[in-house]
Amino acid sequence: MVKIKVDEDACVGCGSCVEDCPNDVYELDKEHGKTVVVKEEDCMACLSCHEICPSQALEHNDIHVAKRLYIDRKVNRALNKII
Amino acid sequence: MEIDEVRGDFKPEIIPKETQGDIDDYEEALHVLMKFIGSMSSALEQVSGRGANAIVYQAGKRMGHEAGKLMEKTDDIEKALGEMGDILGKEFYFEMWKPSDQEGYTTENNGETSVKLLFMDCVVRQALRRTGLPQKGPLCYLLYGYMVGAVEEVMDIKGKLDIDHFGPNACLKTLTIKWGGK
Repeated sequence: MVKIKVDEDACVGCGSCVEDCPNDVYELDKEHGKTVVVKEEDCMACLSCHEICPSQALEHNDIHVAKRLYIDRKVNRALNKII
Repeated sequence: MEIDEVRGDFKPEIIPKETQGDIDDYEEALHVLMKFIGSMSSALEQVSGRGANAIVYQAGKRMGHEAGKLMEKTDDIEKALGEMGDILGKEFYFEMWKPSDQEGYTTENNGETSVKLLFMDCVVRQALRRTGLPQKGPLCYLLYGYMVGAVEEVMDIKGKLDIDHFGPNACLKTLTIKWGGK
C-alpha cells in the first residue's frame, strides 16, 4: 500500500501536484495553503508529482521503484567529486 | 583512453561459450544503444512528423504478432495479459490497474472491453530519459504496437492502446479490445 508524505515546511502550495495528478490523489488546503493527500489508495506511483514539485516536498513509501538504467555511473562519479 | 584489448585464438563455434565482456561492457553498450535509439527517434520525427508514430507503431505491432505466436490462444483477457507479462519480462514490467472505486479490472462499454495497464519498468522510458526526449513520442508507440499486436494474435480480435498518463516512474495505458474478430 502506497504511503505519501507531504513535507509541510517545504510545500509552497503552488498546486502543481493537484493539477498534474491524473487520479486526484491531492487537494489544495486553501486555508493553510498546503497540499493534502485525499485519495492515497488511487496513487499509482507514476511520480509525476515528484517531477513537477518545485520544492521536492513529496515522498512516496512502499512503491515499485522503476529501474534507472539511464543513469550514467561514470558521470555520477565525476559529479560526486565536485558536489 | 586505454582499451583492454582481448587477444587470443578464435575458431568458429556453434554455441559461444564466452561473451568477452563484463557488466561494465554491457552498461556501456546499453548506453550507446539508448543514445542511438533516441537519436533515431528524434530524426524520424523531424523527417516524417506525425508519420513517425505510425512507422514505429507498425514495427512494434509486427514484433507483437511474432511474440503472440509463442503464446497459447485464449478468449480470457486477464490470462492473455498474464502470458504477455511473462514474454515482455522484467524490462517491461506491467500490472493491471484499477481505481479504488472500480470493482473489477475490466470494464465493458458498447461491445468493447477495456483494461488499464500500469507499466512500471520500461526500456523505452529509460532510453527517452537517457537522451532527454519527451515521453509519449514515437518511441512509446513501439510498446503500443507490441501490446496491440500480441493481443490481436492471442485473442484474434481488434485492439488499441491509449496512453492515459505518463510519469517518470510509471505510465498508465488503457487497452481496449473489440469483440467479434478482426
